[in-house]
Amino acid sequence: MNPDSASLPLPEVLRAPSLTVGQVTPGSLDDQVLRFPALAPPRKWYVALAFTLTIMSIGLVLIGYTFYEGIGVWGNNSPVFWAFGIVNFVFWVGIGHAGTLISAILFLFRKRWRNAIARFAEAMTIFAVMCAGIFPLIHVGRPWLAFWLFPYPNQRGVWPNFRSPLVWDVFAVSTYFSVSLMFWYLGLLPDLASLRDRTDSKIRKPIYTILSLGWRGAADHWRHFEKAYLLLAGLATGLVLSVHSVVSFDFATSIVPGWHMTIFPPYFVVGAIFAGFAMVLMVLIVVRETMDLKNLITDFHLEVMNKVILGMSCLMGYSYAVEAFTAWYSMNTFIQHTFLNYVTGPYGWAGWLTMSCNVLLPQLLWFRKCRRSYPWMILVAMAVTVGMWFERFVIIVISLYNDYLPSAWHAYKPTMVDYGILLGSFGIFFTLVLLFARVLPVIATTEMKADLPGAQPRHGARHD
Amino acid sequence: MTESATESFAVLGLFPSADALMEAIPKVRASSLGRLEAYTPYPVHGVDQALGQRRSPLGGMVFIMGVLGAVAALLFQWWVSAVDYPLVTGGKAPSSWQAFVPIMFEVMVLFATFTAGLGMLLLLNRLPFFGHPVLGSKAIRGITRDRFALAVEAEGEFDPAAARAALEAAGALEIEILPAHPREPAFTAEYIQRSAAGIFVACVVSGLLMYSMVKLMPALPPMSHMLEQPRLDPQKPSAFFKDGHGMQLPVAGTVARGFLPSGLAAPEDGARLVNPLPMTSAVLARGRTEYQIRCTVCHGALGDGVSTLTAAYGAKPANLLAPAVRADPDGVIYGTIVLGKNAMPSYAADLPEDARWAVVHYVRALQRAQNAKDEDLK
Repeated sequence: MNPDSASLPLPEVLRAPSLTVGQVTPGSLDDQVLRFPALAPPRKWYVALAFTLTIMSIGLVLIGYTFYEGIGVWGNNSPVFWAFGIVNFVFWVGIGHAGTLISAILFLFRKRWRNAIARFAEAMTIFAVMCAGIFPLIHVGRPWLAFWLFPYPNQRGVWPNFRSPLVWDVFAVSTYFSVSLMFWYLGLLPDLASLRDRTDSKIRKPIYTILSLGWRGAADHWRHFEKAYLLLAGLATGLVLSVHSVVSFDFATSIVPGWHMTIFPPYFVVGAIFAGFAMVLMVLIVVRETMDLKNLITDFHLEVMNKVILGMSCLMGYSYAVEAFTAWYSMNTFIQHTFLNYVTGPYGWAGWLTMSCNVLLPQLLWFRKCRRSYPWMILVAMAVTVGMWFERFVIIVISLYNDYLPSAWHAYKPTMVDYGILLGSFGIFFTLVLLFARVLPVIATTEMKADLPGAQPRHGARHD
Repeated sequence: MTESATESFAVLGLFPSADALMEAIPKVRASSLGRLEAYTPYPVHGVDQALGQRRSPLGGMVFIMGVLGAVAALLFQWWVSAVDYPLVTGGKAPSSWQAFVPIMFEVMVLFATFTAGLGMLLLLNRLPFFGHPVLGSKAIRGITRDRFALAVEAEGEFDPAAARAALEAAGALEIEILPAHPREPAFTAEYIQRSAAGIFVACVVSGLLMYSMVKLMPALPPMSHMLEQPRLDPQKPSAFFKDGHGMQLPVAGTVARGFLPSGLAAPEDGARLVNPLPMTSAVLARGRTEYQIRCTVCHGALGDGVSTLTAAYGAKPANLLAPAVRADPDGVIYGTIVLGKNAMPSYAADLPEDARWAVVHYVRALQRAQNAKDEDLK
């Protein structure tokens, strides 16, 4: 960004932190990051893949069983029609949001540290949205008719109800997936060209050639490319805020006590970024350790991410407080009952688990030692992942099973199929992550090259 | 390699750093030997201005398409919800635009994104293109890694030697001359044959696939779940009953609604019965309908016994307008419907109780219509 910063006599605290450790040149960066697709994966990778594939197949078999037998094999029943299917959907869509935040919002804010982690986070976004998409699809019961969700002219002469947030959801999530994929692919394009020109393999060369579309790094192309990337970042920023808001509308526009609250859209977006960062952090720790990328994904990166998690955790605490306040201030006995039920009912333990995992435990990150030590940050990240899953469980199940009519109250109990499909979605996610780590560049080398010290001309034309 | 002007596409000079490239551009540009283009591993700030390239028009394109997407989404949702399929939900007006905003936003982003991404790649950058001479050069390995290339590309009268000298003077480490690929004719006979064969194979494969899908798919279990339910279908066997039939005959002596046995032995026995229905226009309308269905074919539309079937049918149907029939009490006509007379079969199974009496009323109306008196007009 600013090549003169090194020569200015700034005090240490004001100096931009070094984003890499040791000597990193464009060439060494390529050699370090782009060598992986050409290498045979180590044994532990195969072990990990076998493990995730096993979990994935459990999930897929149970999804097949659900298709065959029908949705009755799940625990969903009146009045809790939305249970694991929607909990898992909201959970996975949320995981995806960290990737878009890192790649788009931090790009607009010119946060250079994003470059090292953006690629992986974006990939995780795409995989998480794929996992999320499975759940509404199987939750509709007859997934081979899921195309009815889209407005297309048909002989029945009917259209979807555009006032339904569920239809908004279809548009939001499918747009989110398309935009994330486009953003990811555009960033990947110059890296694919680098991969193409590094290899002489008879198999990989043609694949990279086709995928890189004949990218040749012409200045004439870069000017359009940079503009497109900037525009996409701007669009994705608006989108990422809208997607989880729309997901929250599924709840907020209904009249179920505990759902009908104006805090929901920002509360959901914050929760999504929170959970997503925790997941990205955990995966990045594994990646930097096993792929020996500690000089590129430095302790500084982890610390900054931990600070984001801490900030989001405080916002979560605020959201919970607003929820409690709304319940009290509404003077509405139904909302008050639901809120008390979150923490005192038969599922009260879930409410307490949510709050302690999402608000109390992340406060550890106020300490620099915890922000820089693996055991502590992994503990917090895992707690956040668990806590955020249970938060959706609390919102959906506890609000539904005791609503207005006591005669309609009925406890919810998930079945083994519910648990198995949830587990399977983790298997799908981590299988894709493992494959991605070995097949495509895990770090956006082109973007990092452009920001290395001395990468940009000193006497170039004006900077903007 | 001989350097002839017609055969070279460009002269490429490689530079070690972005600084070196930026310093070389004005020098080479001053000699105006051809079109200048830089090839870099990452976007270098200021190169486009130094080369005199204009700003990317992508922003305007994306804006227009974004607005188009938003407007299209709004109009579409309005047309669907307020015009084509008005559906009242939550007491909202059919054209409640506020509810259309989320999808408007998403479609706007979708249009804008595809314009930005695909517009940049396909329209502005003309990718995918795998035949560019730079892709075949030795320098490309450096260009996508850490080298910066400046190319003087042929434009009109091109002098490769002069371009080479200019690049060397500007500090290029290596010089490469890229040959132009001779342009091949697009539609050769071989190309057309191959395309035709490809289309033929694609048609056969997709046709076979479609055929097997149509044959196979309806039989797949999840697709017919709505049909296969634990229920007894008509004409299907059942182990529940001793005779193995799913459909059972009614118990002996069962009386269907509207078919209570009349207990008459002969039509004349009905003389004591009184028509229970009032003579209203609704009853007469019902009687006319039933009469036209059951009776007209033999007794004629007017009840005069002029049958449309006379030629094919030996019997002579009764003239209902005859004085004898007019003199019969209602119950005798009723009895005739129930039991039949001469060649006329019983209509008890076809006409329920109230329909029979309605027909009797209608027959009376026909009789009066054909023997109208002056006071009937009053």
